[in-house]
Amino acid sequence: MTVYESDLPGVGKKHEIELHGGERLVVVTHNTGKREVFRRADEDSDAEKLFELSDGLARTVGTVLEGAYFQPVATENIDTVLGGDALIEWYEVPEGSELAGETIEAADVRQRTGASIIAVDTGDDVTPNPDPGAGVHAGDTVVVIGSREEVDEFHETFIESPDGDDGDEEGDGDDGSGTVLD
Amino acid sequence: MAAGSPVAGGDLHGLLALGTLLAVAALVAAAGRRVGIPTVPLYVLGGVLAGPHVAGAVGLPSVAPAEVLTLAEVGVVLLLFFLGLEFSLDRLIAARKKLSAAAAVDLLVNFPVGVVLGLAFGLGPIGAFLVGGIVYISSSAVITKSLVDLGWIADPEAEPVLGTLVAEDLVIAVYLALAVALVAGGSPVDALPRIAVALGFLIAVAAAAQLLAPRLAPYLGTSDEDLVVRTLAVALVVSGLALAVGASEAVAGFFVGVGVGATPLHDRVADRIAPLRDAFAVVFFAWVGLNTDPVAVAGVATFVLAAAALSGPAKVISGSVGGWLYDLSPRRSLRTGLALVPRGEFSLIIAALAAASPDPTIARVIPAFAVGYVLVMSFAGTIAMSEASRIERLVGVAEK
Repeated sequence: MTVYESDLPGVGKKHEIELHGGERLVVVTHNTGKREVFRRADEDSDAEKLFELSDGLARTVGTVLEGAYFQPVATENIDTVLGGDALIEWYEVPEGSELAGETIEAADVRQRTGASIIAVDTGDDVTPNPDPGAGVHAGDTVVVIGSREEVDEFHETFIESPDGDDGDEEGDGDDGSGTVLD
Repeated sequence: MAAGSPVAGGDLHGLLALGTLLAVAALVAAAGRRVGIPTVPLYVLGGVLAGPHVAGAVGLPSVAPAEVLTLAEVGVVLLLFFLGLEFSLDRLIAARKKLSAAAAVDLLVNFPVGVVLGLAFGLGPIGAFLVGGIVYISSSAVITKSLVDLGWIADPEAEPVLGTLVAEDLVIAVYLALAVALVAGGSPVDALPRIAVALGFLIAVAAAAQLLAPRLAPYLGTSDEDLVVRTLAVALVVSGLALAVGASEAVAGFFVGVGVGATPLHDRVADRIAPLRDAFAVVFFAWVGLNTDPVAVAGVATFVLAAAALSGPAKVISGSVGGWLYDLSPRRSLRTGLALVPRGEFSLIIAALAAASPDPTIARVIPAFAVGYVLVMSFAGTIAMSEASRIERLVGVAEK
């Protein structure tokens, strides 16, 4: 595949991309940021305009074509089913949770719920496999492993307790995989 | 450029004069756009209608050219400033082989056509030199817009067309420098010292643009407000000084643009100042109209039609040769020629220059000729492009 680039003085730049059988895709990028996309059926034929995009829209479409994720939206909890009954789930520790400002040991997580905290994400850094003496603060994200019941128990005890409006009825799929394009 | 032929003062002043002029120009342009006429000549037409020769003659309030002269001059400086901004020496050098051949054909065919016409209609050597420029220079604004509107911008002919326009812009910068000195100087020999001073000044500006601009760029400011105010200040001070020493303010604006264009500020300046250029350029086009007496244009109708009949085909031929030099097929070469037909803003800049000539024939005939010629050729050129496929069949180079 060959991409030809040429200057269009006073207008912008032109890129011609060779497709199959002599067909070419022509992208004219105006100095204003506007992109015009044309198709030329073969070398002799006139360009046929397909569509035009604003600068911002062109970048979004480009990212989609590239196959890259674009601005994945963080969901409140992301669970991963490991098979059997085990799952891993992410929770943000709310203000007023019994866990906030305590160490894992003092909150007695394992004894009260059966679930274990396997990582703490403070936003700045992630501590995998934290020491039981490690502190957890409101706003941190904790990663919890256990059976579904144990994880639900953890959720009820430490996450839902303060205001009780954090009802995350779990399905068994991964409801965290949705991404939204801006 | 000085004010054109002295006319009786209109009775609109200041803000009202400017507002009325813009309003009339905008109305005429809006009406004409429905029919597909390019806007540059329509702004001129708006000026004609709002000026002393039409509105004034029928007893309506009119706008005297002197009321908007300074703003029109800002328009010329900004038009050329933008040419400079887009102009890159590196790009020119990279394309020089094909370009210089195509550009040379363009210059060597079309400029002499104008000179011969000027001599044939009794304008003398300086007048003929001015007509040569008017007939030679294609309209970047009209052509670029047509290329984009018709989608030719994605076709191979866009490169020789835009390349030729860039080369013409460079030629016109040198040409204007000479023309200013010649017009003011009487005979070409008397003009020599003026030419020397004017060229010296422009070489100094060009050197400053090349050497100082990159170092001065950081001082043009970080905020948009500073950037606009300081860039305008530099452009207007330099072009004003150019006028004071008898050089072309437009060419000075061109070199300031080249200087700014070579710095990283290029995109931001283009973005922020383009709306100013658009507004002031309209004032300039309308100002040309204010100076134009439709009766005078009618008086040079034969001259205009003869020029159109000769220079239209000349551009098509020279442009086609240019396209052929770019290895284009006969059909695309013909299109290159058709695209280069419209004349516009730069012919009007030359007309404004001619209006200041001490030679009464030049001052009277050439501006009227230029306005009529630009009206005819921008319309004819636009039709030539939109009817290209019919013309291709006629010439026998249509797509199989």
